Amino acid sequence: MIKGPNGSGVQSALVSRRGFLAGAGAIAGGALAGSALLTACADTRDRSAGDLQISNWTGYIDPRSVAIFEKQTGIGVEYSEDINDNNEWFAKNQLVLAKGDSIGRDAVVLDDWIANRLINRLKWAEPFAPGVLKNKANLLPELSNPAHDPGRRFSLPWAVGITGIAYNRSVTKRDIRSLDDFLALDSPTAVLSEMRDTVGLMMRAKGADVTQPTAASAESAFALLEKSVADGAVDAFTGNDYVSDLATGNLGAAFAWSGDVAQITRDNPDVIFVIPESGGLIWSDNFVIPKGAEHRVNATRWIDFFYDPVNAARLTAYVQYISPVVGVAEELAKMGGKAARLINDPLVVPTPSMLDSVANFGILNSSDADAMDERFALLRGAA
Amino acid sequence: MSAKIERDAQGRKQARYTPWLLLVPGLLWLIWFFYLPLYSLFRMSLSTKPSRFAVPEFGWAWSNYSQAFSQYGAQFQRSFTYALAATIAALLIAYPIAYVIAFRGGRYRNVLLGLVVVPFFTNFLIRTLAWKTILGNQGPLINLLHTIGVLGPNETLLRTPIAVIGGLTYNFLPFMVLPIYVSLEKIDPRLLDAARDLYSHTWRGFRKIIIPLSLPGVFAGSLLVFIPAAGDFVNSYYLGNAKTTMIGSVVQDQFLVQNNYPIAAALSFVFIAIVMVVVAIYSRLLGTEEIA
Repeated sequence: MIKGPNGSGVQSALVSRRGFLAGAGAIAGGALAGSALLTACADTRDRSAGDLQISNWTGYIDPRSVAIFEKQTGIGVEYSEDINDNNEWFAKNQLVLAKGDSIGRDAVVLDDWIANRLINRLKWAEPFAPGVLKNKANLLPELSNPAHDPGRRFSLPWAVGITGIAYNRSVTKRDIRSLDDFLALDSPTAVLSEMRDTVGLMMRAKGADVTQPTAASAESAFALLEKSVADGAVDAFTGNDYVSDLATGNLGAAFAWSGDVAQITRDNPDVIFVIPESGGLIWSDNFVIPKGAEHRVNATRWIDFFYDPVNAARLTAYVQYISPVVGVAEELAKMGGKAARLINDPLVVPTPSMLDSVANFGILNSSDADAMDERFALLRGAA
Repeated sequence: MSAKIERDAQGRKQARYTPWLLLVPGLLWLIWFFYLPLYSLFRMSLSTKPSRFAVPEFGWAWSNYSQAFSQYGAQFQRSFTYALAATIAALLIAYPIAYVIAFRGGRYRNVLLGLVVVPFFTNFLIRTLAWKTILGNQGPLINLLHTIGVLGPNETLLRTPIAVIGGLTYNFLPFMVLPIYVSLEKIDPRLLDAARDLYSHTWRGFRKIIIPLSLPGVFAGSLLVFIPAAGDFVNSYYLGNAKTTMIGSVVQDQFLVQNNYPIAAALSFVFIAIVMVVVAIYSRLLGTEEIA
């Protein structure tokens, strides 16, 4: 079952009740319960099998996968599209996690930097259940040892994306190749409200190393951004809503995420995504099990399901972000039709030269991260 | 006889406590749902955070207030300027509407009132997004303004202060129309007849009778528009640009993006204080004792 942002709560009560009934049954059933428990262990499911709560971003799953997973595993899934912003998710759940309570979700999908905080700094992530991840070998080797989770014990990428510039050719009347082109536009422009994306792209334009960022190395990027906001070269800071504004022509150009643009480009060929000459950013959204999750085994089975190339290809054909799973291109080809055509879309299956021109924004130390976030917040307010 | 006196005394005693007993449910509600959250917010505004992702700890951090004011003074100023502009615009639009409905509406009065209110059955966010379409570069208004030369070829309406003030005005308009209508509707039309009998022309009658008697409605409507408009963040986010950010956006950003609860709480308290001062001055200037 896929639910919208506010559709939680009822299921939590059901979970508790099912858990209670399962426990009561186990006591009353004596030997029968013992054998049921053994069966459950052999089946690598949680005792309260049939339950799994997932939080993800909007439009980040195809409509069929939940039903197929439920049919294959017998696990009932409550899938909520209630993550809109990494910081916002953290602010809402911080106090509960700090107390060690469950947030009512067995897994969430978050950016690299916040996954790092949960895993390393706060220790608020659970490792995957042992012996369940049979498809982990299908993870792209380039993504198997990130700084935030060497060996991928706590996180696996859900999807990979590129941050670059998208523009509506019918509004700009010319092509954009660089950040200078972007800032020189007469038409309205927007940058992303995620600090790492916006400052990261500007750091690349200034020749700074984004793989090992510091507040000092980001100084010239911040200066450029501050000047651009003051001059009116940057008109707005947006989240995902830049997509509709680009498509309707309310924005000429925007800092953008590749998968979003891949989806609108088909309906509106005037919208074009480019990686600036100075380079773009590559990132992944990570599947993480938060501390206190009630169904760790089921959550691990869920992510393992999407590391089967067939399931990963179905997901990729819908969300059109880069898949972290080996063998997806072949499966897309087998699917035929529109899915097969995606193999030639560099936003979904990037070319080697594209991958050469992007870099991952590294991990900031906490004081630099705080200082940069605060400075960025002031800029968003344009005091 | 003495028993009667005793009963009377007991009755008086009970009558003395009755108003207080009647107040208890309301007071409990107020304490639980208003004063306790307010106290919690106040404690938060004086808390400190060793780092951005740490849980706030109470520590008499008055510096949060000076930081809130020094860093976001421009947004405070902008919020109250936009709210004032939206209130004046709403008043100018709402007064004639309320006047026509009250004095010329006749049997269509309820229908006309319904027409004012019906669009507001739609969600606030949807209405604001609809404005984005109306003011957008592909919208009907911008083409008209370009054609008649009001706007230059590269000038836009969306992501401007005008769009934000327009959105605020539209979204809070019924809160101005309805109180003014109630004030106007209570005016006895015979007062105008009397003015005419005494050879007062229409404008003078309006100025000397209608306006003073409708002031309670204007006062209530102004507050109902000004206060929520000053704290709004939806309009500035969707219709404005990076230079039209209002204090509501900053509070939202500090609470939900920067995770800085103490600064957000301090900003909220500064906002409450400013609103209270503005309302106190306004009520003194307008000098009304009756609120529609």
